[in-house]
Amino acid sequence: MEFLKQRGKSFPMVAFFAVMIILSFIIKNGFYQHIFILTLFYAGMSSAWNIVGGYAGQLSLGHAAYMGIGAYTATLLYLKMGVSPWIGIIAAIIIAAAVSALISYPSFKLHGTFFAMSTLAFGEVMRIIANYWRGLTNGSVGLSIPFKPSLAHLMFEERVGYVYFAMIFLAVVLVISSRIKESRAGYYLNAIRENEIAARSLGINTSLYKLYASVISASLAAVGGVFYAFYILYIDPSGLMDSAISIQFTLMAIIGGLGTLWGPVVGAILIIPLSEFMRAWLGGVGQGLHLVIYGLIMVVVVIVSPGGLINGYKVIIRKIKKIKA
Amino acid sequence: MLKIENINVSYGEVQVLHNVSLDVEEGEIVALIGANAAGKTTTIKTISGLLKPTAGKITFNGTNIAGLSTSKIVELGIVQVPEGRLLFPEMSVLENLELGAYTPQARKVRHETIKTVFQLFPILEKRSQQLAGSLSGGEQQMCALGRGLMAKPKLLMVDETSLGLSPIMAKTVFESIKQINKTVGMTILLVEQNVHWSLRLAGRCFVLENGKVVLNGPSKELKENPHLQKAYLGM
Repeated sequence: MEFLKQRGKSFPMVAFFAVMIILSFIIKNGFYQHIFILTLFYAGMSSAWNIVGGYAGQLSLGHAAYMGIGAYTATLLYLKMGVSPWIGIIAAIIIAAAVSALISYPSFKLHGTFFAMSTLAFGEVMRIIANYWRGLTNGSVGLSIPFKPSLAHLMFEERVGYVYFAMIFLAVVLVISSRIKESRAGYYLNAIRENEIAARSLGINTSLYKLYASVISASLAAVGGVFYAFYILYIDPSGLMDSAISIQFTLMAIIGGLGTLWGPVVGAILIIPLSEFMRAWLGGVGQGLHLVIYGLIMVVVVIVSPGGLINGYKVIIRKIKKIKA
Repeated sequence: MLKIENINVSYGEVQVLHNVSLDVEEGEIVALIGANAAGKTTTIKTISGLLKPTAGKITFNGTNIAGLSTSKIVELGIVQVPEGRLLFPEMSVLENLELGAYTPQARKVRHETIKTVFQLFPILEKRSQQLAGSLSGGEQQMCALGRGLMAKPKLLMVDETSLGLSPIMAKTVFESIKQINKTVGMTILLVEQNVHWSLRLAGRCFVLENGKVVLNGPSKELKENPHLQKAYLGM
């Protein structure tokens, strides 16, 4: 749409990744590197979720299932047939896209809470399938991937290799997100989120656009799943496809700013280091205490800045501009 | 242009419309009037495809449209300005208007259409960068009408346009509807509780009661009808 100012749009993106690359040189400690990787990974997953959950406003609580589909597809192809995980990524995208299209068709007929519950059920069903289809997935014992570092195997001797891979994953998700947000489809999704009936009465094919958002979101989540499997080198249904993981993608986006490009990234940067540090520091003393603090952050954000941290920041900027003017 | 023949519409088990028939000819304003829960909104929701009739026929310029999807019906040229306006409050007025031009044909000519809309409603041009949620009730109604026009409809259906507006604002909006009909030659199906204004604006009226059309005819004749005078005009 012509009123969109294109200039200067890519500046924050370039600046952000410049900082990330600098950080990748500074952070040498293995524990900090692990936190860095997890932060980038969750930022990417939450941004992928944000395409359907934020832009289209369809609260999906089953995204861990797509991550699981991606992880299992690539791992099984690699372990059983020796297929490179790079090709596994493509297979993961195809399967996740097909599953999400299949599942979206009936579930998008539901609205609001009912839609959210159907996606929660979908996630759980996928986890249970993974648990009991022992012949394929090895059930709850899980699958471990032997460590054979090489770029073709998507395994890196040095942890920093995973840092770059996670960074590329996040960059791809963010570029696709921003393209969608600024496209005509992005406006239609926004209209659907604000008022689906009004959008339909304008003739917008709401089912089609919701499907589009869902398929893209699921495909990106599946790519994240492949990365996860080849970083941790071990996958099992409860570690990978638990509904708590789906909810985490959702919460990060909500805390950072639902439906904004940078919201999920901000949410991940706040939440992941915090919970990892607390898990390490509090250790045995305050087991589960990090969850309490997690909850507190959520409550404070919802009360102080209901639109997420990003919007709180926007409000402050607007106030400063007003004082200056 | 639009012809509805004996449609029945139900919400689940409850039948709301019984054998409703009405017609709209090109270039005229037709009003569908009735009290709360008479079935007015149900009727136009059925026309625009948000609901499906269980029986009966709806034809638009000869095409049977009963059961088509909303987006198909909009493409054919029927656009609804929904009750309660249903703007996108967090988007600017201009964005709201642009979203109205969804079909490829409408998108092609949207720059010209926007000019027409701004001529009809100069206030929208002034407010074009403001968030739609920050407009007054009357301005929001104008924005909703403008958004409807952006789709380049052949038939514009306006649902409860005066809802929640002060009498003065309602008057302004009604006059702009007349203006739309006159200057653009737009065919309009008006759904209203305000019977006074409906009789003044529309050439013909249909009166709905409990899901049935109980009266219809030219507004001039209906004005003299004793039932209408007693039930709706308090005379």
